[in-house]
Amino acid sequence: MQRGIPIIVCFVFGLFMLIQFFVPHRLSVSAYETVLDWMQIIFVFTLLVGAISYAKLNAKKVSRRESGWGYNVIGLAGLLVMVIMGLWMGTGEKTPFLWMFNNLQAPMQSTMFSLLAFFVASAAYRGFRARSWEAGLLLAVAIVVMLGRVPLGNLISHWIPDAANWILRTPSMAAKRGIYIGIGLGTISTSLRIILGIERTYLGGK
Amino acid sequence: MSRHLIFVLIALSVAIPLVIKIGLPNEVTSEVMRVYEEIDQLDSGSVVLISFDHEASSLPEVKPMAQAILHHCFAKKLKVIGLALLAEGTAIGDQILREVGNEYQANYGRDFVFLGFRPQYQAAILGMGEDIKRVFPQDYKNIPLSQIPMMRKIKTYEDISLIISVADGDMPVWWVDYAVSRYHRRLAVATTAVMATSFYPFLSSGQMVGLLGGLKGAAEYEMLIKKPGMGQRGMDAQSVCHLVIILLVVLGNVAYFLKGSSTVHSRQSTAKSF
Repeated sequence: MQRGIPIIVCFVFGLFMLIQFFVPHRLSVSAYETVLDWMQIIFVFTLLVGAISYAKLNAKKVSRRESGWGYNVIGLAGLLVMVIMGLWMGTGEKTPFLWMFNNLQAPMQSTMFSLLAFFVASAAYRGFRARSWEAGLLLAVAIVVMLGRVPLGNLISHWIPDAANWILRTPSMAAKRGIYIGIGLGTISTSLRIILGIERTYLGGK
Repeated sequence: MSRHLIFVLIALSVAIPLVIKIGLPNEVTSEVMRVYEEIDQLDSGSVVLISFDHEASSLPEVKPMAQAILHHCFAKKLKVIGLALLAEGTAIGDQILREVGNEYQANYGRDFVFLGFRPQYQAAILGMGEDIKRVFPQDYKNIPLSQIPMMRKIKTYEDISLIISVADGDMPVWWVDYAVSRYHRRLAVATTAVMATSFYPFLSSGQMVGLLGGLKGAAEYEMLIKKPGMGQRGMDAQSVCHLVIILLVVLGNVAYFLKGSSTVHSRQSTAKSF
């Protein structure tokens, strides 16, 4: 029963969403719009579950004084302050919420992202070796694309950006297409398995 | 070479060109030109929907692209609808839209509007194809859409000439899957450089009308609208940074081969001595 109801719900709505795509009748469209509304409502509750889970996990680490618990305190404080400020004073112009977003959250996240440049450079210096013919080819292609995607490449020769664009638009795109086709076929088969109740791992347990 | 020295070199290669302008010339690629032409051929009063589908982490890369596109839209007197399908894009989108709109004395509610954030992007994209007011009954300022003059005549995607997704992930693929495939809308994409190659298949299939990829895309668009900004300045920094990384890779390989040949040489010497 516990697993039977979700499987039936999944089957009915999965089949409905599949069929309604081909049925432009008013009733079908109206039911479809209602399903879309419900999808958003359910998703909002999953956000709530995520926030509660985050708070519980961090509170547990703080109460047990686990290693690095100070970071958990900062995480919890950040969550609470942003929620309280957002609910109390709003999120629009000249609000503490927006000030904190612009001056704390955005710079911190951008800093984390920009650290990638340092790690990429260090990793490239240490690990990017032409140990074999294939590795040498990869190295050459990487250098052409790196130079071709910046104005410096064009200053050296117009062949460099031309070659970089060819690499991106032909062999790289062909590989991407293959991957996308594979993903598409995989999505169709997995969706059918879920709708038909063959794939049940999303229900949890074994 | 020590890791710390590499970090210092990278920091300097980014910081110096940002402070001292080099002004390296950019060439406009066809995918950026196609976005420009798509917007440029729209009649005054046409509606463009810009979705800020990114997080704060990629702000330095996506903001110059969004700004350049918005400058073009407002200069052409197009009506702009902004929204966000990722929560962090909400505050960013609202600010960029207001900043650029104010430069052109655009009126909120008549020339542009910001609808805010909706979770569950698949449902939001599909829902707007049926009825925008059902997905966004109010704008970001909690004003009902029925009270916003610009939104009175805009019901579904049918009333929107072009959709632009400013993204740092794979959100444009969802726009292709739902807005382009199902509702046959035209979609342009502005995305981070690292994601740009993922969208080339959609570009060649015509499911995306054009593509701006990272700071390079922003720099090229700034050239086209003749409004230099952070995109062009950023490309100088990126040029120098790429050059430093290439030199580091070459240096690493030279050291690797020298070390390899000296190891072989010493092995041969040891073998001879026996």
